[in-house]
Amino acid sequence: MMNSDFDRRDFLKVLGWGGTAVALTGCGNGMVESGKETIVSYTEATDYMIPSISVYFNSTCAQCDAGCNITGRIREGRVLKLEGNPKSGINRGKTCGLGQAGVQNHYNPDRVRAPLLRTGDTGEAITWEKAYALIDEKLKGVSGNEVAFLTGSMSGHTKVLMGNYIDSLGSKNHFVYEAIGPAVVRAANKKSYGVEMPRLNINKAKVVLSFGADFLGAWVSPVNFSQQYAQFRKGAGGHQRGVLVQVESKMTITGANADRWLVVRPGTEGILALGIINVLGDLGVNMPGDIAAAVKAYDKDRVSKDTGVSAEQIGKLATLLKERTPSLVLAGTAAEGYAHGSQNAAAINLLNQVLGNVGKTVEAAAVVPFPQMAPATGNTAALKMLNDGLTAGKYKVLFSYGANPVFTSPAGMKFKDNMAKAGFKVVFAQYLDETALQADLVLPLDSALEDWGTQVPEYMAEGAQINIRQPLMEKLHADTRGIGDILLTLVKQRRAAEYKPFDDYYGYLRAAVLQNKAALGGADQPDNDIFWNETLSKGIINFEGAKHASLSVKSGAAGLSLPAPSVADAEYPLQLIPHVTANLRDGRNTNQPWLQESPDPLTTIVWDSWMEIHPKKAAELGIVEGDIVEVTSRSGSLKVQAYVFPGIHPDAISIPLGRGHEALGRYAKGYGVNPFQILDMVYEKETGELALHETRVKIRKTGDRVIVVKDEGPVGGNQVGQKIVPEMFTNKVNLSKEI
Amino acid sequence: MSITTLFDNYSEFRHRHPDGDVPHNPYKWAMAIDLDACSGCNACSVACYAENNLPVVGREKFAHGQVMHWMRIERYWDHDGSEFPERGARYLPMLCQQCEAAPCETVCPVGATNHTPDGLNSQIYNRCIGSRFCDSNCPYKVRYFNWYDYPSTDNVWPAEMNMQLNPDVTVRGKGVMEKCTFCIQRIRGVELDAKTQGRLVRDDGELQTACQQACPTSAISFGNLVDPDSKVHKQWRAQQVDLDKHEQAKDQEEGGSDLRGYRIYEWLAPYPSIMYLERVRESEI
Amino acid sequence: MHSFLRLSFLLLGFFVAGISYAAEAPPSDPSLLGIDGSAIDKAARARSDTGGSDFNTWWQKYFAESTTEVGPVVKQPIEFPHFRHAGDRDKGGMEINCMYCHTYARRSLVAGIPPVYKCIGCHQSIDEVRNKPRIKKLFEYWDAKKAIPWKKVNDIPDFVRFSHERHIQRFVFQLNRPVQQVCGYCHGDVKTLSVDRREHLLSMGFCVTCHEINHPVTAPGGTPIGNQDYWYGMRKPVEDSSGILKAQGPNDCSVCHK
Repeated sequence: MMNSDFDRRDFLKVLGWGGTAVALTGCGNGMVESGKETIVSYTEATDYMIPSISVYFNSTCAQCDAGCNITGRIREGRVLKLEGNPKSGINRGKTCGLGQAGVQNHYNPDRVRAPLLRTGDTGEAITWEKAYALIDEKLKGVSGNEVAFLTGSMSGHTKVLMGNYIDSLGSKNHFVYEAIGPAVVRAANKKSYGVEMPRLNINKAKVVLSFGADFLGAWVSPVNFSQQYAQFRKGAGGHQRGVLVQVESKMTITGANADRWLVVRPGTEGILALGIINVLGDLGVNMPGDIAAAVKAYDKDRVSKDTGVSAEQIGKLATLLKERTPSLVLAGTAAEGYAHGSQNAAAINLLNQVLGNVGKTVEAAAVVPFPQMAPATGNTAALKMLNDGLTAGKYKVLFSYGANPVFTSPAGMKFKDNMAKAGFKVVFAQYLDETALQADLVLPLDSALEDWGTQVPEYMAEGAQINIRQPLMEKLHADTRGIGDILLTLVKQRRAAEYKPFDDYYGYLRAAVLQNKAALGGADQPDNDIFWNETLSKGIINFEGAKHASLSVKSGAAGLSLPAPSVADAEYPLQLIPHVTANLRDGRNTNQPWLQESPDPLTTIVWDSWMEIHPKKAAELGIVEGDIVEVTSRSGSLKVQAYVFPGIHPDAISIPLGRGHEALGRYAKGYGVNPFQILDMVYEKETGELALHETRVKIRKTGDRVIVVKDEGPVGGNQVGQKIVPEMFTNKVNLSKEI
Repeated sequence: MSITTLFDNYSEFRHRHPDGDVPHNPYKWAMAIDLDACSGCNACSVACYAENNLPVVGREKFAHGQVMHWMRIERYWDHDGSEFPERGARYLPMLCQQCEAAPCETVCPVGATNHTPDGLNSQIYNRCIGSRFCDSNCPYKVRYFNWYDYPSTDNVWPAEMNMQLNPDVTVRGKGVMEKCTFCIQRIRGVELDAKTQGRLVRDDGELQTACQQACPTSAISFGNLVDPDSKVHKQWRAQQVDLDKHEQAKDQEEGGSDLRGYRIYEWLAPYPSIMYLERVRESEI
Repeated sequence: MHSFLRLSFLLLGFFVAGISYAAEAPPSDPSLLGIDGSAIDKAARARSDTGGSDFNTWWQKYFAESTTEVGPVVKQPIEFPHFRHAGDRDKGGMEINCMYCHTYARRSLVAGIPPVYKCIGCHQSIDEVRNKPRIKKLFEYWDAKKAIPWKKVNDIPDFVRFSHERHIQRFVFQLNRPVQQVCGYCHGDVKTLSVDRREHLLSMGFCVTCHEINHPVTAPGGTPIGNQDYWYGMRKPVEDSSGILKAQGPNDCSVCHK
């Protein structure tokens, strides 16, 4: 327990780091001579500050938006490693690889270190005073309608402050853009269940049928789902081992763990769902008449023909779902990525209703009782609106934070060119990414490990919670600022009187938390300091007995209409599946070398992009592993190495997202290709989001060939007859005696 | 141990596979990895990079096979001639198996890798001369050689990145062999704490390896095999896998065993300290 | 290749260190041991002058250094008088316990340099010496809230992890030996020194010499010391004439190297 803020800040100072003074070599006696190194001690120290003894502080991971609670190991003032916070309802002490690499985001050598003002093609370092004054000046005489804000998903007090600043400018133009957020599924869930993000009880399900939801890899809250998955497999709660069936056109890591991986023709996920409902009806499962009528046309044989899944398999799946309840059906990235994504997701959600899972494995999540702090989410529809405004020259000043649209938008949007039409562009950035390079003013941000903040996770696993983000060490660079501090300074330019009591964002945050002490669980604690310190110490504010949103289930199949599977396109015969990988997601973390060197779980490829192609198709086209192929869509083309991969539909190819940066930093720039660039601008019909999977391509061998840099070795994952990873089937194995 | 002690007790240090005369007391560190829970997500591997100061070698050196991942995920396919891998991929976290009769130990010309009293296969960097005999003799291929001077000439940790280095773990120089240590810095830390406090290491999460701590599906359990209360001991016992046998009785039964525990290359008799639990697939679908 | 050579030198070093300690007592006057023109350098030069190839020169210099136990006097930002603080009362010292200032030693890998406020804690109420140059300098650092850049004199290679905590716990708290004696095993007779000086070459040979001595693990009558009835990692205990079980220190490489 810390005594005062001063002690704590003092503690986080780096001790004894004299740059070159620390020897790194493991071998050699060069540095053991007396008097060659300096030992530095603290000037003041509290009892718990002991050199060589680690101290742990709780905070919140910022590598993705899932909001896992983390614990930083701090020694001599340096944060060395991040672990999961065991008290977290979301990740329960666990982390993913992406989260582990959070320290590399913090210590990254390519971070921006001073405010940069564009002079011609270069950025000139300026002071913060000058930067703030410049923003103030540029906003003079600009009406609110002429200012636009583009941000990634935001929540907590930062969102409130951002909202207040936008409001103070008289603007209503806040565009929230996540390049790969599950926007269509959110909308479909809202329609089917009445909430955008219900709580999914994988651990209570006996069967999980997932339509392209990569919940073990990159979907929504993977660390939480992974833990639920482990319980599901072990048969927690006394039931037998859970069965996972994954339906998708390109194998994800979740598909790789499925008991049965069913490959479907791209875009026919909804048809398969309706086909299963049809068979369930035949098997005597009760369902409302309109549903039965709606699925009547989807008999086994037709569905089998449309989707490519055998009628026998559909029958077995329906039987399994009928026999083992409750089950859970998930609609994920692959299902929503089409022009009819909403219909796909609705059909899949309908299957959940027919199976009676809603209320059992699909539950309403608890809600934080501060709606203004709830996460703001959005997707390409918002970016498109902004882009249209920029095209029309509507905006004189553009602010961008937490998004990199120049990298993640399709080239056809011409976002880079349109961005230039805004008179003055301010980008808050930790790195000079593609979007920051287009800015007039770049404001360098603190890393998540040196900043203050709160976050409300979109997916609430267990009870409602607000996550605390706090510095795990002193700032590495003197001239970076936290986003909260920047916003506070900016909002003071407009509403000085209102924000006068707050010297900095820390003060604002503390005051805001203490003001609502009773609601935040401090009703029994009269002392503000103790309550505040306890809150920081826990790193989480839990709401015991928080209200749950109620599900309002829309029964029936009204409005459901699924298009027939797309017919072969003679010119562009293949469907491009841009794959979201667990490590690189939308590419914001690509400059962390651990992630670049962490092999892709399916192909084991590192440091580069690749194109997955089915062996049958590859043989047909004469493509072998390492061939450089040109992938051309209606919107552009790129050259990439081929990898022959059995887990993909023969009429589809797949390229991972996240690589192909032209900027960002030394570990990202120049590695791989960026498939965002060649996406066709096809939009989902109901939500207007970009349909990520709707691009059709043709491929051509260029004649060049490279050696694919991968971890799997020359035999390509063959066990060569050895008992390395044997498997047992459930009718043989005895799991009852296991610990 | 000094060199003289090593030579005096050569046989004991080199060939200490378990038998009644030299029981492990009070610790024998061992692991159990459940392949049905493992999703192959690589979190363990990245956690290992973070904990053990592993260098990122870059694209070119990775292509030359010089990657230094102490913990790697191996991915296998069923090569059964079917068009699609309908049973998914097979994942296996592969790390040093900390063999009791380790093939690497017997070939080291300088005793740089030897057995510790708590059942680890230790690698002493400052004694290693880089003969790489151990690497050749390891059936699991989990030993990694420093072909380059990663900290200085390769500049793997440029300014600020080097501040992340774990001070409890040596940063290896050029010309030495390295491998998974079962996070020996954590083991020694808690062992010494326990010793100072006059007790044994508790089996309540006091000691976790970095990979175990990160693993999102809790597929890895790690602990003291000679402690009857530890989870690892119970798992090994339930699976009827004996550390000191290279053929398990349960595998001799007609029709095979209905238990999942097995050790890789057990028949080579290295007596590995890691038991894997076979992955399971549903027979009804 | 070079690592292999280092190993053999380490072996040679053990013997040579042992011999030279008896034969060549450290000069009593610290000024003889300055970095420039020091005894070490002189000895090294004397030997290397006779050498032929570069290799010989290097080899002999290494050999010469290995024979020297006592390190050079290091110029510190403040010439700290250990003899005044830790020295005997009859010689004008204060007999302050080592662990009063080096407070981390009993609970951490490192002994640690005390934070500046620890010095100030006492010195702000010792007016007699307030105007002495060294104390003035101390207060300058304090007023500027700056850490004093002490130079390290006892250093070990980065691949060695030495725990002060275990040694202090074992010898001071379990065997009840006097603190100055225990610290002195490695740091010499600090109470006679001004600023510290390396008193022993902290080589592996030096460590192992002590680890091969049998130290008590039970009190007379067989009661385990420190509530421990096991001494993991040690050679089998032997019983001495008074019925005390004694065992060697831990001798497993990975205790120190990891």
